[in-house]
Amino acid sequence: MPLETSRSGHPIAVAIVEDEASVRVGLRRLCESLGLKATVYASGPEFIDSLAVGGDPPDCLLLDAHMPQMTGLEVHQHLVESGVLVPTLIYTADDAPEVEARYRASGVSGYLHKPLAGDLLLAAIQQAMPPA
Amino acid sequence: MSELRPGYDPEADAGIIPLAPGLLLFTPAILLGNAASGLLQYPEVGAAVLFPPYAILTGALVLTARRDWIWYILLGAIAHFFTHWPQWTLTWVVLADVANIARALTAALLLHWAFGGPPRLESVWALGLFILGAVMVGPAVGATLGAADVMLHGGATTFWVPWRSWFMSNALTGLTLLPALVLTIAGAPSLWSRRIERRRILEAVLLTVALVVTCAVALLWRGRHAWHVALPLYSPLPVLIWAALRFGPAGASLALTAVAFGAIWAADRGTGPFAATGTDANILLLQVFLLLTTLPVLCIAAVNSGRHKVVQLYHALLASLHDHVAILDAHGIVLEVNDSWRRFADSAIVERFQRVGVGDDYVAACRSAAERGDTTAIRTLAGIQGVLHHESRRFEMEYDDEQDGRRERYALSLEALARPDGGVVVTRANVTARRQTLMQIEEQRRELSHLARVAVLGQLSGALAHELNQPLTSISSNAEAARRLLKRQPADLDELDAILGDIASEDQRAAQVIRRLRALLKRGETHLQPMDTRELLSEVLELAHAELITRRVTATALVARDLPPVLGDRVQLQQVFLNLIINACEAMNTTAAADRRLTLIANADARNNILISIRDFGTGIPSTLLERLFEPFVTTKPEGLGLGLSISRTIVAAHGGRLWAENNADRGATMYCLLSSGLLRRDGDTPTQPLTLESSPASISPPAHHSLAP
Repeated sequence: MPLETSRSGHPIAVAIVEDEASVRVGLRRLCESLGLKATVYASGPEFIDSLAVGGDPPDCLLLDAHMPQMTGLEVHQHLVESGVLVPTLIYTADDAPEVEARYRASGVSGYLHKPLAGDLLLAAIQQAMPPA
Repeated sequence: MSELRPGYDPEADAGIIPLAPGLLLFTPAILLGNAASGLLQYPEVGAAVLFPPYAILTGALVLTARRDWIWYILLGAIAHFFTHWPQWTLTWVVLADVANIARALTAALLLHWAFGGPPRLESVWALGLFILGAVMVGPAVGATLGAADVMLHGGATTFWVPWRSWFMSNALTGLTLLPALVLTIAGAPSLWSRRIERRRILEAVLLTVALVVTCAVALLWRGRHAWHVALPLYSPLPVLIWAALRFGPAGASLALTAVAFGAIWAADRGTGPFAATGTDANILLLQVFLLLTTLPVLCIAAVNSGRHKVVQLYHALLASLHDHVAILDAHGIVLEVNDSWRRFADSAIVERFQRVGVGDDYVAACRSAAERGDTTAIRTLAGIQGVLHHESRRFEMEYDDEQDGRRERYALSLEALARPDGGVVVTRANVTARRQTLMQIEEQRRELSHLARVAVLGQLSGALAHELNQPLTSISSNAEAARRLLKRQPADLDELDAILGDIASEDQRAAQVIRRLRALLKRGETHLQPMDTRELLSEVLELAHAELITRRVTATALVARDLPPVLGDRVQLQQVFLNLIINACEAMNTTAAADRRLTLIANADARNNILISIRDFGTGIPSTLLERLFEPFVTTKPEGLGLGLSISRTIVAAHGGRLWAENNADRGATMYCLLSSGLLRRDGDTPTQPLTLESSPASISPPAHHSLAP
């Protein structure tokens, strides 16, 4: 099975930040089955710390909107403020229109509803990433 | 026994006769009385056998207001003055007037003090007070002044002789004519207002005839033998006792007055047993005879009248009771039943053992019904025997009875009769309506509690959708990954196995969430059962978990390790704690996100009471609301309905617990819920160690996905 590749020809690296273990594992498996290279983090601070110790930013960031400590939006804003520019997708169970509007206004690349369908996720990732 | 409370109350100085009709009645009476006093007099000192003006003036004073007394005293003095002047010298008459006034005034004041109004001779004690004032002290004062007057004007050689004759004539008047006047006039209004039975009028007429005949025999019949003189003296006595027993003190004193006047009239005409010699000694004999007849007859009348009042009250009391009442003796024989009982027993619809009346053996009736297998009779019998054998003072039971196809509910209570002979009072009340009301209230309470629960879930709906979406997201991601994995060659079977395992467990988790929601949404009966307190609280925290995250509230739970189980209804207690947690969250809406902390602490005391506190760091509760917070429709929230806390308190109270709020010393408020444990500590057991948080703090483990320790 071919891996989805980025411009550089490497497999697309996706970072998943999700507080709940079972969802985290499920999403990692889904991404891997889609041919992506998935790294998972249990919280926003954990991901931010991984960048701070010199880790490479992923090609695309997948954020759970609903997390203790830092919400998905807060993680995104933190990254923007610290100059890390990563295509970011936020997913949530909340389908209220005003919530979607808020996320779109914040400058994230995409907004997804839970549960996540594989092809929609892939399409959103590809769309979020800068054109080759 | 006596209801007399001696003392004068000027506020109550009303009098039962107003001035105008009083004077209209008094004037002819006092003139007639003065005329009658000349009927039979002591030849030596000029004192009458009976002195009606004393009774008339004293009676007038007793029956009227004090502010009017001066008119009666003046009128009485004038009438007496012109009766005797100019036969007597001016000073003699004036001094006799003074003696008359002093006597009547003394007696009237003493009677006012003793009775606070017109005297009622309904006990021996009351009769004693009356005699002291009107028969002894009043006449003694008059006799002292009168005898001094007689001595001053040379009417007698010794003080004792005029004193005795004055005293005797007024004492006799005070004992016969005075009560006759006062009791008749005071009792007249109630006599008019009531319809008098014809039988009673007939009896009064017969009594009068009998009295006239016996008096005629006693006073007019001249026999030849000595016993012909003595015997007739006592012939009016049976008639007098008849009057005393049937017509009370008023009737007795009227009859006694009639006998006294008859005797005086006969003696004056020179007939009857007292006319034999016509001397002072003979008149004294007449007075002593009348006094000694009057005293026991009035005593009988007073005692009987008091007894009659008590019996009347007793019957009125029984008749006024709406409940069915029966009084049993120590053997279970029915002594008395009230009208309600009788009507109930007479209605054909009731069980036979309940159809007992006066004289029936209630215990035997219950026993025979119990032997036929009547469960109500079996329970009643056990209760009656318990009370009759002094095993308990009181027994209560409720039972259903089918009547005309209707189901009626009765409450039966048995109470030991507080008297030396023992016995039981049986009271039966129809409580069908009361029970229906109670059931309706309970139903409404349940309905309201359910609505409140649904409202709580409504508040949580966003968070609960999230809670359900988590396992669904996991399942869908895993399932899709598995499908793609299957297309690879070779398929990674170990990974597929792990995926399917995760799908199954996430499915269970979703089902669990749905089950809990269903339980909370359901309208159910209350089921009290002992449950693990930790488990209860962790379930609540799981339900609230998503809401806490949404509201950015960091929750900490400190639950004592060996918390005893709590006895209660799981769903209702979950409702209470969910409500408290949501309230705590809402109280922190304006608190900075970093400070939104909620602490749940649960521990038990030595008596196995469980204290659960939920502390927030919000704005606190305004002190004016702190007391009223648990009343319905009192709320601190602009959009709140104010029912959550009042229903929560009702639920906790129904569990035998307490729910209250306190403001914290620094910031925010704490809700306390005290619940009793299902585990009762037996005496002799070592008490459960008081659990201090320092020694055994324990985080609830199941909701591992939220912050549990500070």
